[in-house]
Amino acid sequence: MEHILLEVGLAFVLIALAGILSLRLRFSIVPILILVGMAVGPHAPRIGVIDFRFIVSGPLIDLMGRLGVVFLMFYLGLEFSVGRLVRAGRSILVGGTIYMAVNFTVGIIFPCLLGWPLREILVAAGITTISSSAIVAKVLVDLKRTANPETELILGLMMFQDVFVAIYLSLISGPITLGTASPTKALISTVLALSVIAALLLSGRRLMPLLNRWLNIPSDEVFLLVLLALLMGTAGISEALGVTETLGALLAGLVLAETVHFERIEHLIAPFRDFFGALFFFSFGLRIDPLSLGGGVWIALAAVVLTLAGNFAAGILMGRRACLSYRASTNIGLTITSRGEFSIILADLARSGGLLPVLQPFTALYVLILAVLGPLLTRESRLIYRGLSRLFGWPPGKDAAPYKAERQSL
Amino acid sequence: MASLREIDLPGIGRKFQLNARSGDRLVIIIHDDGKRELYIFNPDSPDEWAAAATLDDEEARQIGAIIGGVIYKPAALEEMEVKLDQLVIDWYKVEATAKGAGKTIGELKIRQRTGTTIIAVIEPDHASHIAPGPDQVIPAHSTVVLAGTRDTIKACKRLILNGSL
Repeated sequence: MEHILLEVGLAFVLIALAGILSLRLRFSIVPILILVGMAVGPHAPRIGVIDFRFIVSGPLIDLMGRLGVVFLMFYLGLEFSVGRLVRAGRSILVGGTIYMAVNFTVGIIFPCLLGWPLREILVAAGITTISSSAIVAKVLVDLKRTANPETELILGLMMFQDVFVAIYLSLISGPITLGTASPTKALISTVLALSVIAALLLSGRRLMPLLNRWLNIPSDEVFLLVLLALLMGTAGISEALGVTETLGALLAGLVLAETVHFERIEHLIAPFRDFFGALFFFSFGLRIDPLSLGGGVWIALAAVVLTLAGNFAAGILMGRRACLSYRASTNIGLTITSRGEFSIILADLARSGGLLPVLQPFTALYVLILAVLGPLLTRESRLIYRGLSRLFGWPPGKDAAPYKAERQSL
Repeated sequence: MASLREIDLPGIGRKFQLNARSGDRLVIIIHDDGKRELYIFNPDSPDEWAAAATLDDEEARQIGAIIGGVIYKPAALEEMEVKLDQLVIDWYKVEATAKGAGKTIGELKIRQRTGTTIIAVIEPDHASHIAPGPDQVIPAHSTVVLAGTRDTIKACKRLILNGSL
């Protein structure tokens, strides 16, 4: 009995329910989608015609999940702007460098201690270093902290991390997925990525008018079709060349970010990113057997502790350097601990590269813990600060203002 | 003095921070989805806001028009100068930061030094002192009604604001 549409329909129902639940709980949708995906899958029961195993539709959901990565990477490329980062000011460049120096180092040392091979180390370092800018921005809005002095620095750091992750992914995605099997192709993909970025920086200004003219299509419908053709074409060609579709999509985004049409592109692509992205996180969960999580528990817990410590230290250093109070600096250190979409993308990259299977349950647990703990720590930053200020002798925070919004969101 | 700072909040929108002459700090966040948020901070606790309000796009435009004086023009801003030949009568609101606030008319020697006469002092609670004597205090946030020529009134405002000419 093949009811492929019924299965796909069921998947969409589950994804929509996850979305509704995330709204109700005022919570990021990513960990909920992964949990839902984990709850169903090949090990799940079959009830009448309703098949929670997703065996028939498995390949289709997988494919849509892959498209999700393509759209997520394309969007990341679109948002990439070194110019905006430079304009954001010195304190963000300095703060971002401090953050990377502390956390990327920790991220490299930790898997080294576990005795993992080089490619696994690169992936794990990325997984633990990159915060979830989506969760962070949402939590700041929900907790009504957008006007706080430290928020500028936090969001600036997220921008810094986005630029970092775009460059990092374009450098490592080739070696990770192709790796030891074909070192020449891995080298080609890295060189290709570097040359596209270099070409953009050097001759982007001369090439862009041409691209601007080509893309000057009045009809939204045709514009979207051309856009999808560009994106899918690049992703497909990259896959055929063996340089991974992730990289192709990212580079396509980088190029189009420089055109005058970039806001229109962002606007049109966002629904696709949301839709296929949701399928990606769902399919990531589908592939994880809850019983296999045990293998990653201790690694994930150790990584969580290291991330919390590293991020907190970086937050205090960044905040104090930018002349913020200890109170505001504590907020930085706690807010940036959320992990989400990028960690999952990196784990997916590791899977397609055939890296150590333990990376999958490790990342799932790590993201699940920090996607919950991060927003929680952010919300309770006042209590945490009070405890820490006693410990370190920092000036006590003023309790004059009632945190109305925070009470409501409890 | 009043300063307006404008900064991008990537992923959220744009932040405008006004440090008003009155000492209040007002932060306005314009979200990319059109939502506006207003925050007021106490000067002594810059890390935590004291009051907040969330407005949608339409409400924000209405408030903007009200604050901009489009709907109701405050009396103080209407062409208040009544010219009788050389004589000018003018209103002046004393800011909290004015050096002359809290001093008496005699201490400031307003008439001797500027040639302007204060014909009334209206306190913030609307208690008015008409034709005040030299021992009348000019409280912060009060409105003084001045009579003189254009130049002497300018000098008088300067005197109240800076405590000297």
